[in-house]
Amino acid sequence: MADEKTTTDSPNDVVQKLVHFEKIKPKPAELTGEINTPCISKNASFDWKVQLLADKDQLNHLGYPADGLIPNWKEVFLKKMDEMLNKYRSVRLFMDICVRCGACTDKCHNFLGTGDPYNMPVARAELMRKVYRRYFTWPGKLFGSKLVDGVDLTEEVLALWHTYYYQCTECRRCSVFCPYGIDTAEITMAAREILNSVGLVQKYLHEIVFKAQTIGNNLGMIPDAVVNALEFVQDDLQEELEIEDIRIPIDEEGAEVLFVTPSADFFASPHIESLYGYAKVFYQAGISWTMSTKASEGGNFGLFIHNYEHMKKINSRIWEAAKELKVKRVIGGECGHMWRVLSSYSNTMFGPFDHLDPKYPRPQHICEFTLDLLNRGALKIDKSANDDVVVTMHDSCQVARGMEMGGHPEGQYDIPRGVIKGVCNRFVDMPQETIKERTYCCGAGQGLLGDDMMPIRVKGAMPRMQAYSAVKKSDGVNFLALICAICKAQLSKMLPTYGFAMEEAGGVHQLVAKAIVLGAKEGV
Amino acid sequence: MANLGIFVDMLFNAFTHTALLVFVAGFLYRLYEFKNTPQPLKIPQTPQATTASGVFARMAGDVLIFRSLSKGTKVLWITGWVFHFTFLILILRHLRYFVYPVPGWIVSLGDIALPLGVLMLIALIVLTLRRFTNERVAFVTNPADYFALLLIIGITVTGIMMKFEPFRPDIVAVKAFFYELFTLHGMFGALIFHPVHVPANLVFLTHLFLVLTLLVYFPFSKLMHAGGYFFSPTRNMVNNPRDVRHINPWDTATEEGNNG
Ligand code: SF4
Ligand code: SF4
Ligand code: SF4
Repeated sequence: MADEKTTTDSPNDVVQKLVHFEKIKPKPAELTGEINTPCISKNASFDWKVQLLADKDQLNHLGYPADGLIPNWKEVFLKKMDEMLNKYRSVRLFMDICVRCGACTDKCHNFLGTGDPYNMPVARAELMRKVYRRYFTWPGKLFGSKLVDGVDLTEEVLALWHTYYYQCTECRRCSVFCPYGIDTAEITMAAREILNSVGLVQKYLHEIVFKAQTIGNNLGMIPDAVVNALEFVQDDLQEELEIEDIRIPIDEEGAEVLFVTPSADFFASPHIESLYGYAKVFYQAGISWTMSTKASEGGNFGLFIHNYEHMKKINSRIWEAAKELKVKRVIGGECGHMWRVLSSYSNTMFGPFDHLDPKYPRPQHICEFTLDLLNRGALKIDKSANDDVVVTMHDSCQVARGMEMGGHPEGQYDIPRGVIKGVCNRFVDMPQETIKERTYCCGAGQGLLGDDMMPIRVKGAMPRMQAYSAVKKSDGVNFLALICAICKAQLSKMLPTYGFAMEEAGGVHQLVAKAIVLGAKEGV
Repeated sequence: MANLGIFVDMLFNAFTHTALLVFVAGFLYRLYEFKNTPQPLKIPQTPQATTASGVFARMAGDVLIFRSLSKGTKVLWITGWVFHFTFLILILRHLRYFVYPVPGWIVSLGDIALPLGVLMLIALIVLTLRRFTNERVAFVTNPADYFALLLIIGITVTGIMMKFEPFRPDIVAVKAFFYELFTLHGMFGALIFHPVHVPANLVFLTHLFLVLTLLVYFPFSKLMHAGGYFFSPTRNMVNNPRDVRHINPWDTATEEGNNG
């Protein structure tokens, strides 16, 4: 039957046409301060595609097909899917137990922003479930796709997957409201790896996985460049503060702390302001620390694609560096998904951490570290230095819906807020529906930060922008404090897009940097 | 009592036995499948407790009062809860057909059985209607979702009908049927053309038929959420990844402890 339309197009030709990337100029939503659920509008974001990776060397290195969609893709696709189903209980279980109750349908920022029904979490997951029911359940195998609400594999199905699994930021908000905790992020991660295996590889994300594995950081900076960049920051800091011994040490063996942070912190704005903050905190606490050229990246994009090997390879650099530099503690800077991999997965991949000091959490978050110092009175703070700002905080989704901080299930909400309140006089939270466990993603997480994803980034940022504009109106808020490098990059771009000043987005340690009084130490 | 004929008897004998077998074996097999699939990484979701007892409490909240669901729309939460718990109580009430003597607490459920049945039916109707009227839910609804709802609505309606004349079945005959069905004669009678007689009440037979269909359908459908929830890694893992090392069963290097 399939042969009826005689065509010479190869599967790759067909798919390339379907997933063709085109530059689209997005329009931001009107700001009302309210987040309304839109009516569904079919195909609203179907044309928003991400770019594919074409660099053959990189593809070969990553172990993915280098010439686009492979001819025998169906076979490979199903084999990979089978592997995912057998390696991840999350994926298998979530295929089976969704009742399509619809509780999650209005919970995704990308649905709220676009109205495209495939951006409803359950509809996104059903894209995979349809294939699952057809090929992996026995009624499907016996009676075909019709009876089981399934679908036969076609290039069109691939295009739907490619489109909508790259319009999910794996933020896990949907999972909070699901009666069974179905985590669409797990399904998206698996789907992306299945797409990778047949040759549909996303450019932005995989270039970074490649660079992080081979060069050591997402920006592809060679060790010398890292050293130069950090020396430059150090010079700046010393000059500005007129303090000669404030440092940003690199590769210093025997330091107490190995500090890892996203490489964007080295010079991107506003990220670098937080780097000043970290340096000041370490300086004032009198704790020796070092960064590492080997572990010059905290971020780990391997997480985004359910490719354990990629993730592990990137993560290994941190633990190798920790051993080589003989540090006692590993502390992570401000980054959402980095923190999730570092805190939740490192121990599985590279634990146990007997070589680190058991007195501290292993590894530790910079906010845990700073709050502890603040609580002990080890830092002298002049809160009035931050009196020009009224601060609110965006809970980064990977932190907020990830693991404990400070040993408490909700420490990840209280600890960064504790730091902010410790250095600022005025703090206001955004509406409850938009923070803490219910936080809305910034709109660019988990591989959506590339320029090609701008339409979905602008639309997906809508809920956060509405919430921000609400407290701006009610309380005069003018600073959006962040603890994630991707959030910083995304929101410092979205604020101007939605008509706010770009400088209103910045890191929590940017506020610390402003308020900390250096030198005047009164007993630790 | 009227006799429906040996073939109807045989059919119901065989169907009851197979349905029960398929349900029990299928359900257990699916749970075994879930349990046997490894979970490589810790993915519990906040606000997840840092202790096992805390995790137990959270899961109890999800099971008993649908806590996660309560965070979203209240209509779905309340109707969903009412449906599940009226259903549960009514299933327990049915124990009186299978247990001798009937415990007092089951007898005492008798007074509320009918109101509960009506409440359950109302909840089911609301759940069905929202699959039409809410455009988002309509978009994701599959024919299978209506099938499950209609099946259970059919069971509820026939169940309620039997509370009224002239549909009331002969309770003694019903009890006798189930009792005999699970004796040696009942197990094999159908094979040698000596099936147990089914009570000749059309409403009862429809009710029984629908229930058996539900049992057969159960393990192969979304209804497996009933057992599957307990294996959900975002809900059943303890939130202590830094303190207690989780082993990935298929990362052979992790088992040796240190692979740095
Ligand atoms: S809330 Fe959970 S069960 Fe309900 S439709 Fe969404 S994923 Fe499925
Ligand atoms: S994980 Fe986040 S982005 Fe993905 S479907 Fe769920 S709510 Fe949407
Ligand atoms: S960038 Fe921030 S909010 Fe956005 S996905 Fe990452 S952690 Fe979530």
